[in-house]
Order: sequence, then C-alpha cells, then structure tokens
Amino acid sequence: MKLRFALAAAALTLMAGAFSVSAQDRSPIYVYTDSDTNVSDFWTNFIIPAFEEAHPEYEIVLTITRGVGGGNADIAGRALAALETGDDPQADFFEQIGVDSQQAWVDAELFLELNEENVPGLANVIEATNRLPQELPYRGSQVLLAYNSELVAAEDVPTTYAELIEWIQANPGQFVYNRPDRGGSGAAMVTRAIFEVTGRDPSVFIPGTADETLIGQFPAAWELLGSIHDSIYENGSYPAGNTPVLELLANGSVSMITAWSDQSLQAYNLGILPETTAFAQLQDLPFTGGYTYGAIPSNAANIEGALTLADFLLSLEMQQTIVEEIGGFPAVAWDLLPTELQSQYTNVITDTVPTWPGGDYTAAMVEGWYNNVATNIDPAS
Amino acid sequence: MKDDSDTLMTTLPTPAPRPSWRKAAIAYALIAPPLLLMVFLIFIPALQSTARTLTVDVNGTPGFTLSRYIAFFQDPVSVSNLMFTFQITLITLLVIFLVCFPLALYLRFANGRLAGAVQVLALFPLFVPGVILAFALIRFLGTRGTLDTMLSIAGFTGFRTPYLKPDAIVFGLVWESIPFTVLVLTAGLRQVSDALIESARDVGANNWQIFWRIILPQISRPVLIAFSLNFLGIFGSYTIPYLLGPAAPQMMGVFMQQTFGQYRRPDDAETQAVITFLICAVVGLLYVRTVASQRKQEQDS
Repeated sequence: MKLRFALAAAALTLMAGAFSVSAQDRSPIYVYTDSDTNVSDFWTNFIIPAFEEAHPEYEIVLTITRGVGGGNADIAGRALAALETGDDPQADFFEQIGVDSQQAWVDAELFLELNEENVPGLANVIEATNRLPQELPYRGSQVLLAYNSELVAAEDVPTTYAELIEWIQANPGQFVYNRPDRGGSGAAMVTRAIFEVTGRDPSVFIPGTADETLIGQFPAAWELLGSIHDSIYENGSYPAGNTPVLELLANGSVSMITAWSDQSLQAYNLGILPETTAFAQLQDLPFTGGYTYGAIPSNAANIEGALTLADFLLSLEMQQTIVEEIGGFPAVAWDLLPTELQSQYTNVITDTVPTWPGGDYTAAMVEGWYNNVATNIDPAS
Repeated sequence: MKDDSDTLMTTLPTPAPRPSWRKAAIAYALIAPPLLLMVFLIFIPALQSTARTLTVDVNGTPGFTLSRYIAFFQDPVSVSNLMFTFQITLITLLVIFLVCFPLALYLRFANGRLAGAVQVLALFPLFVPGVILAFALIRFLGTRGTLDTMLSIAGFTGFRTPYLKPDAIVFGLVWESIPFTVLVLTAGLRQVSDALIESARDVGANNWQIFWRIILPQISRPVLIAFSLNFLGIFGSYTIPYLLGPAAPQMMGVFMQQTFGQYRRPDDAETQAVITFLICAVVGLLYVRTVASQRKQEQDS
C-alpha cells in the first residue's frame, strides 16, 4: 500500500513538473470572473480547453473572485493602481465588469477600446447588445414565457401582452411571476406592463433622471397588473425570487411563468424542469433582457492574448456553445448559428432585446407595484 | 480603645473587603470592549438616527418636527405593515408557548431514552440556518410539497398551501424559536422542587392545579424572559417573512429593507427603524427589569 502511494505521489510530482514546464512555454492570460457557478464552470470545462487547443501558445489562468469583497471591481481597482505606478496589473481579461461603473476607471481610461480591427469578431455582434466601445458583449439572457406544453396547447400560447393578460384571467391560479425587486424575471413582467401602457417603445426610457410624465403613466400599468392579481397563483401570491418561480412550474403548481432564458434553459437541460416544458416570447414587444460584457485593461501585460481570447469568445463555435451549455443568448445574430439550433429556439429568437433604464425608474416601478398591485390597500385613501 | 472596637464589631456588619484600585481597573478593562462596542455601534447610532428623524432643515437651521412620524402613521401601507408585524409577533408568541410548555414540562418530568430523543429533536432547529429552513419549508408546505402529497395519499385533497401567506411566517418562526424557548422553560422548571409538587399532590391537587398554582407562579420569570427575547427576535425578523410571507402586507424588517434599498427613501426607512426600535426597547426594558429583579432577589437571599 505504502509503495503504491509513494509511486502515485512520484507520478503526480512528475506530471506536475511536466505541466509547469509546458506552462512556462505558454504565455499566460490572467482572466477574472465573479459570475455565478454555472458561468465559471462553463469557463473551466468548455472555454478554456477549447481556447488552449485552438491557441496552444496561450495558457488561461482563471481566478474566481465571486463572493470575495467587491469581486472583479476589486481587481479592476488593483489594475487602476498598477496603471498609475506602471506595474503589471496581473489581469488581462475581465469576464464581466461594468466598465463605466466607477468614474475613476473612465477618467483614467482603464479599459481598452475594442473595435473590429483589434477584435474582428465584433463585426458579427448585433445592435441590440448596445455596447460601449470598451465592452465585449459575449453572452446574453432574456426573459421569456416558460409553460407546461401538456397543459397549454401550442395555439393557446399568448403571442402578445394583451393575450397574456387574457390567458391569465381565463386560467386563474395557473400563472405566477416574482416580486419585481426580487429577480429580473418578475421585474420583466412589470416593466412589460409599463411598456404596454406607454406605447410599447422602450427607447423613450433613457437612463438617468426619470421623466415625470412617463412615471405619471405608471398607474395604468398598475391597473393592468391589478386586473390579474386575483388570477395569479394562490389568489395573488408572489414568490421572492427567480428560483422559487421556476420551482412552482417544475412541480406543476402553475402552468406558465416568466423566466430568464439562461436559468430556465439550463434547468431544462439538467432535467430540473420537466421535458414537457416549452418556451415562448411575446411577438409585439419581447420581455427585457441584457448582455454580459467582458473588458480588457489597457495596461494588461498580455494584450495580444486577451484580444485573441475576446475574438475567440465571439467565434460562432463559442457562441453556439453558449446557447447549448448555459442557455445563454448569443451576442451575434441568430442566423449565423446552425439552422438546427435556430429551429430549436425558434419560439424565443428575437433580435429585439428591450432594456429597462433602472435607477429612479426602478424605484418608482417597485414601490408602485408594492403599493398598488400586491396590496388591497389604497395608499391614497 | 478596646471598648470602641468591640462596639463596632457588634453593631456593624463586617464591611466587605474593598477591591483595590488594581482590581477595579482590571474589571473595567474587561468590560470596556463590549461596553464601548455597545455605545459606539448601537447607542450612539440609535440616538443619532432618532435625532435625525426629529429634525427638519428650515433655511439651513435644524428645527424640531414630528412630520416624518405623522407621515408614517398617515400612510395606510406603513400602518398596515406595523399592525401586521404586531399581529404576527403576538400570534407566533402564543403558538410558541402552546407548543413549548408541554414540551418543557415533559422534558422536566420525564426520564429515559425517549425524553433524550425528544430533547435532541427540540434543540435541532438551533443548528439549522434560517435560509435553509425557509427553503425546506417551501418544499414541505408548498403546493404539491411533502405535506400536500401525504395528505392526498391519506385522501384529503382540500389542502391550501400556507406558502406566501401569513401562516407560513408563523410556522417558520415558531419552528425557529422552539429550542431557545424550551431551553429557558426547562431551566426554569428545574428550579421547581419535586417536594413541593409531591406535597401538593398529597393534599389532592390535580395536574392542572399543580401547573396553575404551583409551577406557573414559580417560573414567571423564565416565561417573561422567553417572551421578551422571542418578541425581539420575531418583531425584527427578516429571512423567514421575506422568503415565506406574502408580498403585502410585510413585516417591519422586510419593509425597512425594501424602503431603504428598493424605494431609495433612506429617511423613511430610518423613521420605520426608529419606530421598530422604540417598540422593541419597551419589551427590552421588560427583560432588563425581570433580570435585574432576579439579581436583587438573589443578593437579598
């Protein structure tokens, strides 16, 4: 036994030695992520092996900063300090970061501008990603309808918001969405009602100071959502998160929900959502969604490698993997992906990805919903 | 001189040896960290908050106002949340005592393996974090959850889930409070002497009379302690009401977080916090008085 252990240990040491030798030959790309486990696992199991096979001259060193202090923002802070002193930031690529979330980063031009010259793949990226010049949109997610196809016939699935409202009223207790401040899937149901009563034009909502005339129209949305309050699961019970809502669909308590595409498609692929689950998107104006943006610090030691990685993420092969493995939406146009994959997602494909401006609009949206839709008390009484 | 000292010896009790200044310094140094922590992290911020909610900026000079409190009590949503918090807290406390008294009495008077097992079970919730408990209860109490399934196997199909309703909050909070309450009540019951109960029984008292006339008066203090500490915990609870309760009305903990983080109205959240703090302070006072009177009694005896 002991001998075997010793042998195994020796073999491991040798392997580690061999590994480190080969690692020395390859130039490292330091990647940081603070995204959820499904994303960091996706990097470890798919992106990194595929990239290192396609580009054997590079080695990705992935550090997971999730749950540690400020996550990637702390590393970006370190990169900023390194930029000021001219040191190596030891960070070449951020898997996800808000490049303009701190004014100091913007002022110091901490992040490299990306264009079709240094990242050719950006040519394929769709308009809906709405990126800043420093941002690399590489995966997206959008809220959609998930339903039990055994209980809801394909022809009965709502295609417009008005039809959805009608369906909910006709099928009391069979639909649920979560509180709008407790997960984006429920928020999308509420923001879509606001879009519905403001002319279905999300472009009038501009981030920044809220437009009072728009907020003045919110009560019509409360009336619309109030009209389905009693028809929601258990006479108007709203769970406190995306996951509890998915669970209610999974265990058959309800037959239709709003859900994030990535969360529900992944749950579906893992068998958490039953095989009878199907997905649909509203055709008059889809639910809101968003993209995840990577970025490269301008003082990265391995800019060459980071740019190669950025371009690799936008390759059609990787974009396809993002759809298949994490249920993400591609940052490139759907029609560039295999027809087979397109037909599988045909009900949810849209090149329109409305966004909600956040900030004061969110505060007014959440408070208005709690005070007018979730309760029977009239705050003006 | 000798006479003097003799009279002193007989008329005055021997004074307790005074602690030297070094001993006193050590004692103060030992209690200083928690005391300073309390002062700087609790008392001063609480006072500052209270002061802030009572001042208004009139052309640059601060003035006294009750406007924030008037606004709170004029807002039907805020008032309904406060009333809801009271309601849930009192119902939960009632259920806690209904569940824990029999348990504690059983554990006090029973011996053997079964009692040991019951004790372990009663203390088990102590080791389950609130979030885990909430998700376990969603699975257990939810539509098509464990309870629903068991009932339908037994032929009962009219089950309506308490999940996302006030009942679920009571359920979760009661479960969470059992260990502490049972511990306090059992400890109190241990101080009731067997001899007293046996003599009462000898003169013909039945079980109810023994409980009402002999046991309860002797453990009123542990009951008050369990009441006040549970009240404080329940009144300010967050995780259970947030995950298991309805979207509206809300308990104060959830409401405050919501007002502060989502509605972005820190001033109103502060007012809600001060109101909650004052209510809890009254109950806290009850606790302090109970403990202090016990100390005094122990010193006297």
